[in-house]
Amino acid sequence: MTSRDVHDVLNIPSDHSGAPRPSKKGKNHGPRPNLKGLAREVQNLGGDNPIAIVPEVNFFKKRRFASRKPATKWELKPFSNSARGDNGNLILRHWKRKTEDGAPAEASQDSEAQPAEGGTGATEKKVEVLEDSAFAKFNVQVAVPQYNEDQYHSNLQSDDWTKEETDYLLELAKDFDLRWPLIWDRYDFIPKSSAEETANGTSTAVVPAGKSRTMEDLKARYYQVAAKMMAVQKPAQYMTRPEFELYEMMQNFDAEQERKRKQFALNTMSRSKDEAREEESLLLEVKRILARTERFNEERRELYRRLDYPNSDADISPFKSSAGLQTLLQQLMTTDKAKKRKSIMGPGEGTSPASAVPPSAVSETNPVNNRRESIAASSVAPNRRDSDIHTPVTPAEPTPTTATNTKKKGAAPPERRKLTQQEEQVYGVSYHDRLGSGPTFRYEKINKLYSHKSGQQQLRITNALAELDIAARLVMPTAQVTSQFEVLWGAVTGLVDLRKISDRLDGEIKVEEAKKAERDKARGIVNGDKEKAEKKGEQQNGEGGEKDKAAAPQNGDAPAAASVEKNTAGETAQDAPAVAAPDQAKETEVKAEEGEEEKRPGSSGGTGALKRSASVLSTASDKSAKRQKK
Amino acid sequence: MAPPTGKRVKGVQIFRPFVYGTTARPFDEKTNPKPPGVPDDHTHSWTVFVKGIDDVDITYWLRRVQFKLHESIPNHVRMIEGEKGKPFTLSETGWGEFEITIKLYYVAESSEKPQTLYHHLRLHPYGRTEEEKETMKSSKEVISWCYEEQLFNEPYEPFYEILTSGAMPPSKNNNTKAGKEKEIPRSEGGVLDRSAMIPLTNRPGQPFSRETEAVEIKKLKEALVKVEELTKKTREEMMKKEQRLKELKADVLK
Repeated sequence: MTSRDVHDVLNIPSDHSGAPRPSKKGKNHGPRPNLKGLAREVQNLGGDNPIAIVPEVNFFKKRRFASRKPATKWELKPFSNSARGDNGNLILRHWKRKTEDGAPAEASQDSEAQPAEGGTGATEKKVEVLEDSAFAKFNVQVAVPQYNEDQYHSNLQSDDWTKEETDYLLELAKDFDLRWPLIWDRYDFIPKSSAEETANGTSTAVVPAGKSRTMEDLKARYYQVAAKMMAVQKPAQYMTRPEFELYEMMQNFDAEQERKRKQFALNTMSRSKDEAREEESLLLEVKRILARTERFNEERRELYRRLDYPNSDADISPFKSSAGLQTLLQQLMTTDKAKKRKSIMGPGEGTSPASAVPPSAVSETNPVNNRRESIAASSVAPNRRDSDIHTPVTPAEPTPTTATNTKKKGAAPPERRKLTQQEEQVYGVSYHDRLGSGPTFRYEKINKLYSHKSGQQQLRITNALAELDIAARLVMPTAQVTSQFEVLWGAVTGLVDLRKISDRLDGEIKVEEAKKAERDKARGIVNGDKEKAEKKGEQQNGEGGEKDKAAAPQNGDAPAAASVEKNTAGETAQDAPAVAAPDQAKETEVKAEEGEEEKRPGSSGGTGALKRSASVLSTASDKSAKRQKK
Repeated sequence: MAPPTGKRVKGVQIFRPFVYGTTARPFDEKTNPKPPGVPDDHTHSWTVFVKGIDDVDITYWLRRVQFKLHESIPNHVRMIEGEKGKPFTLSETGWGEFEITIKLYYVAESSEKPQTLYHHLRLHPYGRTEEEKETMKSSKEVISWCYEEQLFNEPYEPFYEILTSGAMPPSKNNNTKAGKEKEIPRSEGGVLDRSAMIPLTNRPGQPFSRETEAVEIKKLKEALVKVEELTKKTREEMMKKEQRLKELKADVLK
């Protein structure tokens, strides 16, 4: 029986013409292997496609001990478990397949045998060899946030939580692997001061218990600490996505909401069957009521629309001509049609926000007018016309404009969407009151600082900065660095200005000292006139010879000046800078001469003369000061 | 330039950090052999560049860069067009240092005028101290890199949009489908693409980071303390001087 026979039996027309078929089949059939254990008929049922039956292969299983290897040996090996926190004191043993290279295994066996005999030296070696339990790695420790004292004070201060209590909470969280029910159950924080009291043992007074904390309190504190420490270690914008998600989740933990959620869950669990049924029916009722109010609102809106009277302050001039009236009529007709179609579509359509918005402009005025139009027909009172004027303007124009308006409003938010704080940081967005628009560089601000100063000031400031070991160009002119630099800049300019003033004061002091020297000299001369004779003798005797020599070049004309004066003159000369000194000295000489000239004719030792000479001196010294500056 | 589109977003400033500068290497038989065709008197090969911090792409705001070299160099005004993900670089050989004018052309959407930077090409080791010079000499490369921040004050709306998107998923659907969003590419230093972020730590070849910034801020703060001390001292001295001056002036009146 071939497949053709099957076809014949089942009355299926063969898809090929009968003639060439047998020969082809015969050809195919010839080489086909005759599978054993399968009746010919069955085989033929498959037709041209061989039947997919895996032929049974008759051979025996391979010999298991074909390699003739000796049986693998197993040995009892000791192991420790590092996950137990006992430093491997507990040593258990388990069966392990012996390794190929027998040496180490044997060694361990030896060492195992030795302690039994009482050998001590080998135990250490054995400990080193000891393998760790394969299950030790499953002892996962929770990574509890770490913080030090400073970090706590700067970031984690809380009115409700002391540092001790926070530490305690984190300790518990670690101990119980963040299993909150456990943590909450075991949470029993005793403030330290009271703990000390009890430690003294004497006081049997009631120990003030720590605040009772709910699980939400504990969680909120823990998440707060964890989130803050996370942010301290890595600013939010640098976190990877999973990190950031975790961070955000911890930050958004709302204890109150969590509490409510649990409350609700509890309530739902504890209600009776009847209550549940009642609630369900109530919910249904609410749904129905809501649906009804929606319809009711729609109807009411419709009513208001109809009651609304159109405003009539528009220009009527375009409708004064008959053509204008015609267009007006046309407009009303179309709006009327639109209105009708809408009412056919049903109130449900009207409620949808998409269609509800645009008609408000149209329908506010139109429906009323339409009805009026139909009632009043051709006899349009001027009054009425007046009211209708508005309509053609509104439907033609406002619909598109309102549409574009809404479109604009709709498009604006995504264009200028509000950036979150994180986004602002990531994109470097900041807000300023006054900005000159256009691109600039951060460093330009600093360049501007320089350019506002004169060349000499710039030089002084750069010198001062160099003194402070600040490079001429900032390494990283970021916003923070530049603002910091501006502060420094302000301080440095202040310093430079101060130095300038101080220099000027120096100059003034010098001048004053020179003046004083001059005055003293003058006074000395006045006094000296009388003493001259006496002193001359003394000087000639050479008692003050040394002093005289020092003063001689300066006081050229007045060798008889008092020794006091000489001293002060010497001082001023020392104080004054090298350049200024000779100048000043000359100046004083000149003045001294002047003073003498004035005094000689005048009465000897008169106070008036002294004053006069002093005034002359001061003007002269002003001149000298000017010369110095030059 | 394209006519301005949209309005400027008022009161907003957006910045983008970038790095510009030069790297010069002296010709050397072994490490940096002179390529054929280079004039005999040229002693260094150097590269001038403008690139994003941590080598992030900046072509989304910077379209092209014009480098104006010294007039003696043939074809001394070179325009480098931006290629996505690649820095703007120009390599040359030479013997002298000069100031390079770098002109930045922004993308068309920004509708902003090009801006100019000046950078001094350094071929020879430099530094404020001998020590700095020595380290530079030993490194065989003369690096003169500058960190800079490009500020866009009140960008036009389309440009604002470009500058505030791309680095993270829009905030609106942040929570709803955060899991499905694919991770936005980051540079090695953890800088998001198209963001204004600065890497947290220094890495070889990337000397600009929050770390460097912190160091500099610390330095500036220390300097400030010093200046305040100096100011105090100077003020005290001044008080003394004023006192003395007063005394001297009082003397005159006696």
